[in-house]
Amino acid sequence: MIIESILANTVMMSTPLMIGALAEVFVERTGVMNIAIEGTFLIGAWAGFVGTYMTGSLVLGLVSAVLAGLLTGALYGYITVYLKQHQIVTGTAINILAPGLALYLYRVFFGVPLLPLQVDLLPTIAIPVLSDLPVVGKAFFNQNILTYLAFALIAAGFWVLFRTRTGLILRSTGANPEAVDAAGINVERVRFGTVLFSSAMDGLAGAFYSLGFLGLFTENIIGGRGWIAFAICFLGNWNPAGVLVGALVFGLADALSIVIRTSGVVAIPNEFVIAFPYIVTIIATIARRRFNVPAYLGISYVKEGR
Amino acid sequence: MSRRMRIFLALFPVWSVFLGLALSGAMLLLLNLNPFYVYGRMVTYAFRDMYNFADIFAKAAPLILTGLAFGFAFRAFLFNIGAQGQFYIGCLATVSCALYLDTLPGIILLPLCFAASALAAGAWGSLIGFAKARFGANEFLISLMSTYVAVAIMNYLIRGPLIESKGEYPQTDVIAPQAIIPKLIPHTRLHWGFVVALLVAALAWFILWKTTLGFQIRAVGMNKDSARYAGIREKRIFVLVFLISGAFAGLAGFMEVNGIQHMLVQGFNPYIGAEGIGIAILGNAHPAGIVLAAILFGALKVGGNMVVQTSPVPSSIIGIMEGFVMLSVIFSYYLRRRIIHSLEKKRLRREEKEEQP
Repeated sequence: MIIESILANTVMMSTPLMIGALAEVFVERTGVMNIAIEGTFLIGAWAGFVGTYMTGSLVLGLVSAVLAGLLTGALYGYITVYLKQHQIVTGTAINILAPGLALYLYRVFFGVPLLPLQVDLLPTIAIPVLSDLPVVGKAFFNQNILTYLAFALIAAGFWVLFRTRTGLILRSTGANPEAVDAAGINVERVRFGTVLFSSAMDGLAGAFYSLGFLGLFTENIIGGRGWIAFAICFLGNWNPAGVLVGALVFGLADALSIVIRTSGVVAIPNEFVIAFPYIVTIIATIARRRFNVPAYLGISYVKEGR
Repeated sequence: MSRRMRIFLALFPVWSVFLGLALSGAMLLLLNLNPFYVYGRMVTYAFRDMYNFADIFAKAAPLILTGLAFGFAFRAFLFNIGAQGQFYIGCLATVSCALYLDTLPGIILLPLCFAASALAAGAWGSLIGFAKARFGANEFLISLMSTYVAVAIMNYLIRGPLIESKGEYPQTDVIAPQAIIPKLIPHTRLHWGFVVALLVAALAWFILWKTTLGFQIRAVGMNKDSARYAGIREKRIFVLVFLISGAFAGLAGFMEVNGIQHMLVQGFNPYIGAEGIGIAILGNAHPAGIVLAAILFGALKVGGNMVVQTSPVPSSIIGIMEGFVMLSVIFSYYLRRRIIHSLEKKRLRREEKEEQP
């Protein structure tokens, strides 16, 4: 019983991490680190909530989250790809701006409500027969639409990245931009486009927290989970398969912390459980010897003779 | 380049601050607030009396230090984005010192708190440098994660061993009066810590530009490979830079705990690390620039807080101002480079023409 609930929570909590980390894999494969991921998650959570609350439709909520992510990505991509400014610096600026902007616009839309505004959660979709399977049924076949989408995205992402021409271009843009340029492909356009795509996905991942988990919006709704997705991309060795494993491990840590908090078992201090995923990340970052870092990660592409 | 042009370009960060404030002002229109009125109020409040004016510098003191924490490491092209965690470790060290050694006289206790916060946070930071030097680990990722671990340690200690004697709220007892940094101006919150922060900034400048170590740090920052060929042991530099950088952030904790709060409250000042990054960028990672940028952020905070308390302007506007100012500063660096580039091109073309008869 408890194992079933932990497993279900694990898969649920790993959903946004899967989407966000996969998005990060794509963008980093082209040589751009999306440092604004934490802020984009938050903007997505905000836009998803506001869109749903204003229209009463979860679908429109998800659409607004994607659009808001896209806008954030356009800003980040324009400054880093076209203006060639430093990615960490630009991302930090957006991460400072995002909470201020989200809270401020919440106020613009809703004033100061006495009780926190709430929306209905994304409904869980039970897949007939399969959802009745013991132990794994609830975890894998009784989740909301975003969870199914996340698994589909991982599979599709793997296929696109390693089996298609688009994937080859994406990977080459991060590994050898000169060659891509020589082949007549516009490096900046590939990078900007991928930043847009990954930011839109980050927006969707953020919306999971407001629409799939809490049903409301708060300032610290993301609380560093965008950074966890960022780290999973590293630890998963820039590979969608690695992302799947990484996201499930961190989802498990999140799920355990929920179970420990709600069941009142205080054998371990709660803080340790909260810190656990971060400690795992640090150890894994240190222990991981062979990294598959895209050669031009974080370096702007400047055409010669400009 | 003409003298006037050079001054115009040097003042670019100033123009961009105004641009950032203008963008935030446009946001105020969404709440039907008049930006000129709000900014006018901010300025009048910040300069209304000695208390508020002095508060700008009281707020700037820890920001100078977290700005230095990022800026110093940035000179070695290392990314210490864990200043928030190092700040909390510094807070914990100084508050433990002040609470457990409260029988000591101030003349011993205060330097002890100072040293404890710098050493603890420096040691914490140097672990990041060590992980990079020994295992080739990514310092960006590790410093990022270390903040969350530091927050967990702080929450655990504040809910447990360090909790106030009443045991009601997650905060410590008030520290002994002799552990409080003396006031610089009486009846304000401005304390001698501001002067100490200025001295630390001067020290950072001295290390970077007047010592061999500083030369090595900047050499590693400019080109790691050529620095290695020149015989600089870069691994030693990684550890030392993170040690010093962490110590700066830890001292910010000393300023806040012993200078302003006089206790440690769970999760206070959660953006001081990120603001430090903004300040370091605005100040071009130069100690003098960082001091000026920190004073600007201090003024935004004091003016912003007063407006928020006395009018319907929400406090989130402060984050918006900081974010927009940062973005426009980044934009201005791009623009300045473009202008210098095209001026240079023009000059070359002119010279070419002059050479050909």
